[in-house]
Amino acid sequence: MKNVDFAGFKPTALSIVSILFSLMTGSIILLAIGKDPLIYFGLLFSRGMGSSLGVIESIIKMIPLLIISAGLLACFSAGLWNIGTDGQFLIGAMLAGWAAPWVSNTLPYPAYLVAIALLGIFGGMAWILLPAVLKARYDINEIITTLMMSWVAINLVTWLVKGPINDLSTVPAQTTLIPSVYRLPMIPFTRIHAGLIIGIATLLGIHWVIRKTTLGYQFRVMLMNKKAAMHAGMCVPRLTVYGLLISGGLAGLAGAGDVLAVKGLFQGNWNPQYGMTAIPLVFLARLNGWAVIPLAFFFSFLAIGGEFVARDLGVPVFFVHVLEGLTLLFFAASEYFEKKWMRR
Amino acid sequence: MKIGMMTYKTLIRMIGITKKFPGVVANNNVDFVLHPSEIHSILGENGAGKTTLMNILAGMHQPDAGTIIVRDQTVKIRSPQDSLRLGIGMVYQHFTLIPNLTVIENLVLGFEDGLFLNLSRAEQRLQKISATFGLSIDPGRKIQDLSVSERQRTEILKILFHESDVLILDEPTSMLSPAETEDLFHTLKSLRKAGKSVVLITHNLSEALSISDRITIMRSGKNAGELTGDMLRAMDAKTASNRILEVMFGAVPESRERVAEKVFANEPVLELKRVEALNSQGVAGLKCVSFGIAKGEIVGVTGVDSEDRRLLAEVIGGQKRTTAGKLLFRGRDITHTNIAQRFELGIRYVTDDRMNEGCVLDMALAENAILQSYYRQPFSRLGILNHVNVQSFTGDLINRFGIRATGPDARVRTLSGGNIQKFILARSLSGGPGLIVCSNPTYGLDATTVRLIHQLLREESRQGAAVLLITTDMDELFSCSNRIGILFNGEISGFMDRNDATAEKIGKLMLGIRE
Repeated sequence: MKNVDFAGFKPTALSIVSILFSLMTGSIILLAIGKDPLIYFGLLFSRGMGSSLGVIESIIKMIPLLIISAGLLACFSAGLWNIGTDGQFLIGAMLAGWAAPWVSNTLPYPAYLVAIALLGIFGGMAWILLPAVLKARYDINEIITTLMMSWVAINLVTWLVKGPINDLSTVPAQTTLIPSVYRLPMIPFTRIHAGLIIGIATLLGIHWVIRKTTLGYQFRVMLMNKKAAMHAGMCVPRLTVYGLLISGGLAGLAGAGDVLAVKGLFQGNWNPQYGMTAIPLVFLARLNGWAVIPLAFFFSFLAIGGEFVARDLGVPVFFVHVLEGLTLLFFAASEYFEKKWMRR
Repeated sequence: MKIGMMTYKTLIRMIGITKKFPGVVANNNVDFVLHPSEIHSILGENGAGKTTLMNILAGMHQPDAGTIIVRDQTVKIRSPQDSLRLGIGMVYQHFTLIPNLTVIENLVLGFEDGLFLNLSRAEQRLQKISATFGLSIDPGRKIQDLSVSERQRTEILKILFHESDVLILDEPTSMLSPAETEDLFHTLKSLRKAGKSVVLITHNLSEALSISDRITIMRSGKNAGELTGDMLRAMDAKTASNRILEVMFGAVPESRERVAEKVFANEPVLELKRVEALNSQGVAGLKCVSFGIAKGEIVGVTGVDSEDRRLLAEVIGGQKRTTAGKLLFRGRDITHTNIAQRFELGIRYVTDDRMNEGCVLDMALAENAILQSYYRQPFSRLGILNHVNVQSFTGDLINRFGIRATGPDARVRTLSGGNIQKFILARSLSGGPGLIVCSNPTYGLDATTVRLIHQLLREESRQGAAVLLITTDMDELFSCSNRIGILFNGEISGFMDRNDATAEKIGKLMLGIRE
């Protein structure tokens, strides 16, 4: 191991420092609203990480984050922005919820799982195809188009689940419940579903693709210097479509996974908005797949722990969003100072 | 305004102006004097620093050093508004009017006080100015509906509207037809008659001679000489143009030993047949360009216009599509192949935009080394990069070409300009290319590196490669080329053997003077 480079630990250190600063600032806010930060964080950590229930819940909540982050890793590494993962997620989830009940009857169990996963990927890809093509052909800003497509998706799935794909035998607007034997299997000896393996494999797979393959190499050149990429003859429009399709497809897969493993059906008003957590996550991890895993766990733990503590202490659930936001702010600040110091 | 009333001997004096941009000294201790009611041309090739100097006067750039004296008062011009307040206005090559506003709305833009626009008063004033200088225009028309020359007229009117008495025009005739140019010159003369001064930035010698009272010549960021009205009147046109050519291009080595290498004239590597291409403005940039490069030959091409030179290189490299004509590489039609296919055939293009196009500054040398060849064995197989092979290839380049870098993992940004260029050239020369297109390969490099790069190019041609050397460096052009071609206005205005070429001949062709 001659390539050990201590500068390589700096990004990790910066992320940890950002998190610590956000917890400290969070404490000040808690004091200001008359709550004891020591009790709050004490409870948060003991409930979130101290109990097996908390840990398992956090891990389950982390799975869609991992899969979505994997996709974002690919497109961010190419300098492309997919802000609409929530829309792609919902389309993937909706397709899975609609198809799973009847596909499970026609295909053998493993083939059925693969089919639903592919359907989720297909849904997510279809939902980003238009922004991708617009970006590639006409250089139309994908930040806006992907975001707008999310709103279309939210309304579309709500309508579909109230009408065409509604299970009429139930009162709420939802699809038919998938019987538990047709859910995603559990990892042996745990209460965590196999999505965790898929999530980690996808994430590390994309991490590998970005660093070790010619496709990832082209993505990275595109991110660092698009002009040079074009000059060298790389097909930037095609790469743009690939990068966005990967991220859309994986967001769709995350949706299908959540329906297949956790929800068991698709509901009209369901929108967990994982994208809004996954986007900052991938940046905090500095486009490093390995770093995404602990951070995704941390963010899920905050969400789960925050829910537990909210009931006991009367601190609103969305206080954890404040903590997330602060972490990002401090992270941005740390980047600024790092650049400033590097210049000296 | 009162400023026009008093007469000054000199209207503007710029003393010791220096302006540096990253990597370039655009103006190096330049002096410039403008007198009242004169037409003063600043002549020089692209990149000589003409526009930078005038941008400083117009408040677009701040000089790093130097003094500006306007009407005997030292001034600081911090913005275009400052400059307009001093009575100085500039018409840029790319117009700054707002397309979906009318002429009159553009004229009052940013200068009308109060809550409500009083356009009719402004229109009356415009009518008066139009009549005085013979610049007719309908004030109610939208800019987007105007022709190029009408837009230019509006720009000039805008300056006059604000009662400026110094007009700076940046390459005003580049987009105009001959008739429109004549109209423009007529206007400029009537402006001079009314006591206004005009600065004309141009690289067109005959135009400068036809209208100027005074000519300042710039060469690589310096004021290389000035011809006063008396001097111009004392000379006939031919003597004047010869004198200017000498100042513009300096003394050129008349005959340097260029060991005549073996050129396989019957083995053409690249042939261009009536090639045409559009420039960035969407109009014909290259027009009917035809020439060939044989095996073992170095063809030098020069020209004053940087975009012409760039288009030629990009048409061959594949970055730019042709609109007409054919390209043959070793007899094979490559007109419709893309960049990667041409690379695969052995065509290498070494761009002059090293920092932005030639490499990715924040990636490692190793990753830059395979920028075009990443998909090939041994650098990758089945889409998977072979890190070890890439590293050893890069290490080999570093050693063989004496590139000063800490190793294959060093980021390109950490290298000096000369080493970056050596690296890019080294990368292009590997793998036995058939054709190398270099654009200003030694621009901004020190003498040792320049010599090394020339040696490398000669060595490559000796081994049978064809080299197209696109350059503005006369020394390089004469010392490296077997044949020399000159681009003017997107056309090949001349092609000659190195032994028949003289500085004068080439200088004239560069400026579009044909005998």
